[in-house]
Amino acid sequence: MTDALLQLVHAPLTAIALTLAAFVFALWLYRRTGWLVLQPVLITMLLIIAGIRLLQLDYAAYREAVVPIAWLLGPTTVALAVPLYRNLRRIRANIWPVLVTLLVGGSASVVLTLLAAWLLGADLPVLMTLATKSVTMPIAMPLAEQLGGLAALAAVLVMLTGVLGTVMLPLLLKLAGVNHPAARGMAYGMNAHAVGTVRALEEGDECAAFSALAMGALGVLTALLLPAAVIGWHWLGALS
Amino acid sequence: MLKGLLLLVVMQAIGALLQAVWLPMLPAPVIGLLLLLALLVLLGRIPEWLEQASAALLGYLPLMLAIPATGILLGGDVLLAQLPAIGAGLVVSLLLCIPLCGVLMQRLMTGRREDD
Repeated sequence: MTDALLQLVHAPLTAIALTLAAFVFALWLYRRTGWLVLQPVLITMLLIIAGIRLLQLDYAAYREAVVPIAWLLGPTTVALAVPLYRNLRRIRANIWPVLVTLLVGGSASVVLTLLAAWLLGADLPVLMTLATKSVTMPIAMPLAEQLGGLAALAAVLVMLTGVLGTVMLPLLLKLAGVNHPAARGMAYGMNAHAVGTVRALEEGDECAAFSALAMGALGVLTALLLPAAVIGWHWLGALS
Repeated sequence: MLKGLLLLVVMQAIGALLQAVWLPMLPAPVIGLLLLLALLVLLGRIPEWLEQASAALLGYLPLMLAIPATGILLGGDVLLAQLPAIGAGLVVSLLLCIPLCGVLMQRLMTGRREDD
């Protein structure tokens, strides 16, 4: 009897059930309370970790078991092309403000993050991981690995930035007097990527469109420019 | 729904191929995203079945993001050891960049409208 129970607890089915249950509960909790701090990503992650600890599951075996769910992240990233295409006309009309904001804001974000962390003594793998924190997760994880960072840490940092940013965004935008939906959307997407975009959806269609655009475009730009910047930095170091 | 999923997976697969051959710096799903965007521009519309599949998948995005984030169980030591530096990096950049992005975009847009 106990053997059968133990076998069930360690079956892949349990891992999948735990993951889905955590997500269903997290969504219910967020909709019920409406509290920005209770972002479904954060609560789902915490519940899964609690479940793994409680049932004493092996973490590697857990990840193996939930591959059927985690695998969907790839096609879902590709699917971001759909909201992007839907708002192509609106984006084209504002292409220069969008590009300037992406380049200036995106660089400022990477530079400020690295500067603050470096001053407080973060080491190189952590810095390389932090550099990718503003980018949506499917781009950030392989990118962090490629730059010599840590993919597992990148996933955590991206999530933390998303949750922290989403909590701070409404207040900071109000203080700064930003009320245009497109400008709010850009700030949501660039600073809190997917988590911010979910919140931007609650503010309306235009806000969400620019948030999805900012998230996607910043991701692609970072994936292209950051490795180039790191290579350039090493070159400069080698020259001097 | 399945037709949409199939298209997304095929785009990602072509992305993986291009990544292996030409573009090692871009993740395969991102190349797939750009390919699909180009395809939609050529097509000039979004097919109903693709709309359905992408809306369904995007709704589950927090679930798919939460799974890699559980990697904190493995990377947690590094996170805790350098928490002050990591925390400062995150908070400082958010505090300054949120107003910067919002104000910059708003100024640039209204500036253009006055010119028109």
